[in-house]
Amino acid sequence: MPQITKETVGYIAKLARIACSEEQKEKILHDMKEILSYIELLNEVDTEGVEPCNIVLDCLTQTPLADDVCGPCMPKETFLKLAPDQIAGMVRVPEVLKQG
Amino acid sequence: MSLHTLSMHDITSRFQKGEVSATEIVKHTFARIEKFEPSLDAFLSLCKERALEKAEKLDLKKKQNQPLGRLAAVPIAIKDNINVEGEITTCGSKFLTNFRAPFNATVIDLLEKEDAIIIGKTNCDEFAMGSSTENSAFKKTKNPWKLSCAPGGSSGGSAAAVAARIVPLALGSDTGGSIRQPGSLCGIIGFKPTYGWVSRYGLVAFGSSLDQIGPLTRSVADAALAMEVMGKHDKLDSTSIPKERPPLLSEMKKPVAGMTIGVPWQFLEDLEPEYKKSFEESIKVCKSLGMKVVDVDLSILKYSVAIYYIVATAEASTNLARFDGVRYGVRSKVAKTLDEVYDLSRQDGFGPEVKRRIILGTFVLSSGYQDAYYRKAQKVRSLVIKKYKEAFEKCDLIATPTSPFSAFELGSIKDPLQMYLADIYTIGADLAGLPAMSLPSGFTQDGRPIGLQLTGPQLGEPTVFQGAAAFEDATQFYKKIPELFV
Repeated sequence: MPQITKETVGYIAKLARIACSEEQKEKILHDMKEILSYIELLNEVDTEGVEPCNIVLDCLTQTPLADDVCGPCMPKETFLKLAPDQIAGMVRVPEVLKQG
Repeated sequence: MSLHTLSMHDITSRFQKGEVSATEIVKHTFARIEKFEPSLDAFLSLCKERALEKAEKLDLKKKQNQPLGRLAAVPIAIKDNINVEGEITTCGSKFLTNFRAPFNATVIDLLEKEDAIIIGKTNCDEFAMGSSTENSAFKKTKNPWKLSCAPGGSSGGSAAAVAARIVPLALGSDTGGSIRQPGSLCGIIGFKPTYGWVSRYGLVAFGSSLDQIGPLTRSVADAALAMEVMGKHDKLDSTSIPKERPPLLSEMKKPVAGMTIGVPWQFLEDLEPEYKKSFEESIKVCKSLGMKVVDVDLSILKYSVAIYYIVATAEASTNLARFDGVRYGVRSKVAKTLDEVYDLSRQDGFGPEVKRRIILGTFVLSSGYQDAYYRKAQKVRSLVIKKYKEAFEKCDLIATPTSPFSAFELGSIKDPLQMYLADIYTIGADLAGLPAMSLPSGFTQDGRPIGLQLTGPQLGEPTVFQGAAAFEDATQFYKKIPELFV
């Protein structure tokens, strides 16, 4: 089993874009260690020459593609009603690039 | 007979004969909600206006002798991770407290086209992650058979609403057992279809290679009727099976004598005595119906929980990346930069179990660990599928208990891993895309329901319903109503 530390949890939480307090990291670390140690069970299974499962359904082995044609999409007003913040008919977010 | 104990078929039939109006049915349903909801906590929101409007339209249609749908005037409830246009879809999460769905899930269109009436949205574990419904950010649903117990989960609100005779049909979603396990704990039918049988369009995604929408009902016939309405190819879901589905209501009446039931006895070794005895009784019933019982080897399923918590969390970590606080949902009020909008909105919006799973899923997909965890799990999953195929060469259906235990006290399972193990018997069908039904098969000494699970091969829906209908007819457990909700 890999050595998981609080720093690993911090790094993974950053990748997952979830801010975590030190206390939350400790709790997650504890749970993760327990779950990962349970998951070790899989190492008992000989998977030499076994392909990873990419397809679940026997009758649908290829993803059908949609026709490449324009169709109706959600009206802008409907979409904007859901946005947490908006300005001049657009979704507003804090500035991304610093001025200057 | 009171309105709330009628089957879906009987409700529609009485309405069509003019014995009861749709408006009366809706009012009766809301009266029961008003009476029982304070002790049950099954609903997150009610669709009163929508329901009364639909009822009035149906009464008018009836008066004008216009053709009526197959589910005319049947009140139904919808798990709160399925979109109903104009209604709030929270997924049991603070993140979506204010999310008013801008479109209907395909299943909602199909049910409403057949004139079903949507009554409300039901409580669930946050983003369907859990086995007790206690992970909802809003309320704790109670089990109608014993109010101090959990209804199971994640479709616990739907199961409780059906068991408490509030609605005859509620939709759930099943990723690792989330329809069947609460069905079992609440003493009703819970059916997870073959992967791709029912469209997932409009279901908020959790584990996309596993998720299926399915019905929770009080009888096998009601589940069959709901499945006939919902089982349609949908081009909006690329994993929807592009084939006609066979009828179920007629198929399920076929005789079962000569059918073979496979039992993976080795896999069931750890079952506690009370549940083992009950399961053996169920197998006796199958034999008395002329079914043949054979032993099948599914010992590979002891790895199912481990596979699931890699595959499902990996898929969840990518699916839930869309909740970023930018386009919809709740945005952190203190975020000053775009990075903070992401990081803080997700910190505030998600509960502990969802965070745990996203982080675990991100970890098993991260550089350096993907081969050891994700690819390994997908390989063992291939073996699970292979073992099921071998088993179905020897039998028509596989019988197991649905859950290793009956309803447990609220708050009694604190360790996440212990809660995950509640799904040990249900996860296999999700991993292999198989149809599986939980149906009532008895009660513990203190009166908590026990469920039997029948699993079929892919597209084996008719066989599952056939076996289930015969078992139900022979046992009649479905007729028992929780005392508080008669």
